[in-house]
Amino acid sequence: MMSRSWRDTGWAFALPWMIGMVTLTLVPMWMSWSLSLTRWDGLSLGGIEWVGLTHYRALIPGAPSTDERAIKAVTNTLVYTVLAVPLNLMAAMGLALLLSQRLRGMAIFRTVFFLPYMLSSVATVMMWSWLFNPKFGLVNRVLSVIVAPDALPGWLYSEFWCKPTLVLMHVWLCGGPMLVFLAALQRVSPSLYEAAALDGAGRWRRFWHVTLPQVSPAILFNLVIGLIFAMQTFDRAYLLYDRSQNHGLLFLMLHLYRSAFDAPHRIGYASAMAWVLFALITLMVVPILMMGRRVVFYAVRR
Amino acid sequence: MMRRSWISYGVLTLLAMVSLTPFVWAFATSLKPIEQAYEFPPTMTLEQARWSNYTDVFDKLPFGQFMLNSTVIALAAVTGAVLTSSMAGYALARLPLRGKRFWFALLVASLMLPSQVLLIPHFLMYEALGWVGTYKPLIVPAWLGGGAFNVFLFRQYFRSIPMDVEEAAVLDGATRWQCYRRVLMPMARPAVVAATVLSLLYHWQAFLNPLLYLSDFRKYPVSLGLRMYQTMAGTWVNLLMAASLIALVPMVVAFACGFRAFDPRRRGH
Repeated sequence: MMSRSWRDTGWAFALPWMIGMVTLTLVPMWMSWSLSLTRWDGLSLGGIEWVGLTHYRALIPGAPSTDERAIKAVTNTLVYTVLAVPLNLMAAMGLALLLSQRLRGMAIFRTVFFLPYMLSSVATVMMWSWLFNPKFGLVNRVLSVIVAPDALPGWLYSEFWCKPTLVLMHVWLCGGPMLVFLAALQRVSPSLYEAAALDGAGRWRRFWHVTLPQVSPAILFNLVIGLIFAMQTFDRAYLLYDRSQNHGLLFLMLHLYRSAFDAPHRIGYASAMAWVLFALITLMVVPILMMGRRVVFYAVRR
Repeated sequence: MMRRSWISYGVLTLLAMVSLTPFVWAFATSLKPIEQAYEFPPTMTLEQARWSNYTDVFDKLPFGQFMLNSTVIALAAVTGAVLTSSMAGYALARLPLRGKRFWFALLVASLMLPSQVLLIPHFLMYEALGWVGTYKPLIVPAWLGGGAFNVFLFRQYFRSIPMDVEEAAVLDGATRWQCYRRVLMPMARPAVVAATVLSLLYHWQAFLNPLLYLSDFRKYPVSLGLRMYQTMAGTWVNLLMAASLIALVPMVVAFACGFRAFDPRRRGH
């Protein structure tokens, strides 16, 4: 069937992507790893100094050479991720369940809950920091009716409340995973619910034994993507860091950015940080994927 | 049944009100003079609303220019991303290609690689090429594959289309390019719409890359431009809120069009 001129035409179509793969992924990966073993201010190529694994040692907690600030950044990032991602997914699932009912006007509600997702991160952060402004924000104005003025939280300006505020903002931004869940819920065959109802399963049991297994691939997808992105949180931290007390919003990605692009430029150290972040993400995601292979229900077994 | 639907509507309305609060608060602020923005409870009536804030947004800073810049960057990048990722997806799904397994493994690996590992080398490369200060670092990568996610999306979609479709076109004398352009791309419309809308959102919202590569504020996209309403002497919180809401409009329009394309009632099957 395949004529001669057709052989290897794949190259022609895949070429732009392959060039990108080599020049924008493979070569930079090699560069990044090499740089992480050096000390360099990014100015002259002659200034590159080989230091081996020194930078990685600074990122191990409890050692004498530990960079305490980096440990703080890792802790902040992990705390935020562990709180924000599950709450975001629960909100997304709850909304998707409500919206998947066959009722009129669901398109309007779907748009309302998706609206925050379309805002640019700068606009989101500006709106939330205005809403949660300790003095002039709507939240504290309303709270002041029931809470004494000096007991009002400082939100983004407070060491304790800054992360919960960000987590709340992340829950508000659940429109993306919500759409994924909605699409998955729409593919669940109604006959499964009918069969379960005939067997006398109540609403809770139908959710637990029919809905949840059926949408488990979507849960796995949202969880993995959500974790990867939350671990890389940058925009919010960058825009709000100045307000936070005691580095409460110093996330690893921000620490990396500041180390590399603020003076004194520590290109090698920042590169090592990138690989540590990659390792942390892998340590988080791979067990979930492996567990997912056992727990997640696929209609087609491969 | 009747009662249950009323409960659902009640819960949804309540949640929608909570979810819309930041928008309502932002909108109310955007219509106030700056002195009143800090007043509570709001004393302003609707007749006093300063709609002129929405034109001031464009007068105080070149916000029109920011919007135009974002549009140029987003259109250029999305065109490249959809074109090159669909071509690569087509090749990986349906064309003879030596070492296909190897390339596919690379694709999956790059899907998992977080972007920050590449951040510094990319900066060094673009600096060496003299691209810093231009839009090239924001646009050129999109023309070289347009992101692993898009390639993967198209590869999966193209695999779900039966091979006969193409063989029929080939018997009619179509070239590979014609098969891709006239037969498969129209059939992959849902994937094209998803890739287009998601890439548009990604490039419209991009913050870190423009921050790294652009220093002249006249070249700023909206995402960076918004920040200037805050960092200028004193915050124009009213203008900032107005600008934030204006920047949202193009995305709402894009998604509305995208949703329409997805709506099963509008498609013939």
